[in-house]
Amino acid sequence: MAYDPLLARIDQLSSSYTNRQIDRRQFLKGLAFLGLSLPAINLIVTACSTASSTAGASAMVGGASAAGLTSLIAAAKGEGSVYQTGIPPEWVNYQAIFDLWKADYGITINGTSTEGEYSSGQELDSIKNTGKPDVGDVGIAFAVQAKTGGLSMPYKNSHWSDIPDTAKDADGYWCCNYWGAQAFVVNTDAVKIPIKDWKDLLDPSLKNAVGIDGDPTKANDSFFAVWSAAVGNGGGVDNIQPGIDFMNQLQASGNLTAARASDTNIQSGEVKVAIKWDYLGLAVRDKAAGAPNISVTIPSSGSLASPYADIVAAKAPHPNAAKLWQELIYSDDAQLLFLKGYAHPIRYDVLNAGGKIPADLAAKLPSPDLYKKVTLVTDITKITAAQTTLGTGWKIVINS
Amino acid sequence: MPATARRRGGRAAFALLPFGVLITAFLLIPTVSLLWGSFHDSRTGAFTLGNYSYLSHPLDLVPFRNSLELSLASTIVGGILGLLIAQAIVSSRRPLIQEIATTFSSVAANFAGVPLAFAFIATLGAQGLVTRQFFNVTHFDLYIDGGFKLYSVLGLTIVYAYWEIPLMVLVMLPPLQAMKASWREAAEILGASKWQYMRSVAIPILFTPVVSSLLLLYANAFGAYATAYGLTTGFVPLVPIEISNLINGDVNHDPGAADALAMGLAVIMAICIGGRVLLERRSSKWLASR
Repeated sequence: MAYDPLLARIDQLSSSYTNRQIDRRQFLKGLAFLGLSLPAINLIVTACSTASSTAGASAMVGGASAAGLTSLIAAAKGEGSVYQTGIPPEWVNYQAIFDLWKADYGITINGTSTEGEYSSGQELDSIKNTGKPDVGDVGIAFAVQAKTGGLSMPYKNSHWSDIPDTAKDADGYWCCNYWGAQAFVVNTDAVKIPIKDWKDLLDPSLKNAVGIDGDPTKANDSFFAVWSAAVGNGGGVDNIQPGIDFMNQLQASGNLTAARASDTNIQSGEVKVAIKWDYLGLAVRDKAAGAPNISVTIPSSGSLASPYADIVAAKAPHPNAAKLWQELIYSDDAQLLFLKGYAHPIRYDVLNAGGKIPADLAAKLPSPDLYKKVTLVTDITKITAAQTTLGTGWKIVINS
Repeated sequence: MPATARRRGGRAAFALLPFGVLITAFLLIPTVSLLWGSFHDSRTGAFTLGNYSYLSHPLDLVPFRNSLELSLASTIVGGILGLLIAQAIVSSRRPLIQEIATTFSSVAANFAGVPLAFAFIATLGAQGLVTRQFFNVTHFDLYIDGGFKLYSVLGLTIVYAYWEIPLMVLVMLPPLQAMKASWREAAEILGASKWQYMRSVAIPILFTPVVSSLLLLYANAFGAYATAYGLTTGFVPLVPIEISNLINGDVNHDPGAADALAMGLAVIMAICIGGRVLLERRSSKWLASR
């Protein structure tokens, strides 16, 4: 790498701070003097704090030392672009995160319009076959598959210790970023009965009214809708069958519609009760803005939550930009943007404990009490078992 | 062989080269790759017959049954209505009507996919314009009282007919226009009744173009994917949707089984297209000699 006086100065400041030669204030002033943007300074300071508090511990794979981070930023800028797959701008507020990324680092993001809408399976195929993607946002089963298939590379972001053990790979090959829980998204203009729990969906007034978001053998959203139904009907994470049986019952009652619980169909009233991710429901509630009135609620007997995981492609053409992208999305700023997009950021508890969640944002979210019976699913063997059961079970539902 | 003839043969072969490249790249190679993939496990790469398990499981044959039914129903509806409309257009003898009808047919025959699905949800869905208006006038709810569902094989048949009818019009216009008035006049002069003319002249000549058009409609319906998926999100299992599930699915991801299903689809397509080619060869004898 060519000698960069700015970088050298950051490195010098960082090591002085890490070695306690200067205090935090002097360090911040020094960084600001160099003309760095605030988020960049935040990143460096966080990294240095982690490094100084875990001094002596073995170095993480990357990012955790200030020197590592500053050179990461420079190297990422040198690469000039990052290629993403399966990260659509309209998904959980990613557009705002793209904007944050561009404002902070000025690095181009490619692939958003072509591969943004890819399903997890297609993302892995793209990584394997085209070699273009640097980063991907995949369902957790596919994150594990990417690791075993040698499609991802290990990288531990600076906030690694904030993340629950169940939500990250011990070797750093993937890390969960945000999660969503299955919810009832109810058109309260059309539905006059209260919808609180699964059994309410069987009400005779709901003919052709209840919809799920796609084919559950194909889409994660509707797969979890079926699985969550198990929670309220005698099954659970270990047993999806009661959920399949419930859907069969719903189909037999004539209440289940094949119309997809898409935003359009929810807004037009074609689907009056949608079972789908809470964050998507909250987003369509805001989008509809009273036409129709929509309420989002978590089933009172419980539902399931699924995280999305981030991977860095093993043969990423821009490995540094890919790692910097990881640093960005786990930063406070980006995590709050996820929350603004109604996804539960994985560092929610840390942000909440630190009083970093603005009150006006908290007011727009469902009460935390509703989420007490929600179970986060990260066990791949259980997911695989549920998928296998669904693979054959669902054929019976749609063919009955 | 004289030198000139050989040279002409060489030139003809050269002219066919782009076509050959196209066929190789977009038909031969994909077919061979499908065939190979269908006999190999997509995870281990080992030879297997397991991908064809759908041939022995009744439940896995449902997509084939649905696709066959849907294609047959929409072919019959599209074929009959399309033929009648095409005949009406030819009989009208007004160039403007013919012009407008042909243009509309070309547009409608290509209006498919998600936009078409949305158009039908907006008109015939449970909250669709037609469904609601019909209820307002008759107080009969098509969905609740009539048990109708747009998201079913019946509903899909209606939607598919939307492009099958104009497609039939487009492919039947040329043979109908090629029917010479002098044939009818000759038959009438010889004392034939209208029915005798139909039975002995019109039907034998038009039989092959009609059947070959129906085969085209059938293949067209069988291979359609986007409209059906946009409308039913897989609640009505069809072969193309099942293939897509196996390729793109987050839950069932098995490209090998998808290849095997696609081979089944390819066999049905090959029968339709092969039958059409054979029939075309027969009918062109009559209708080409104007």
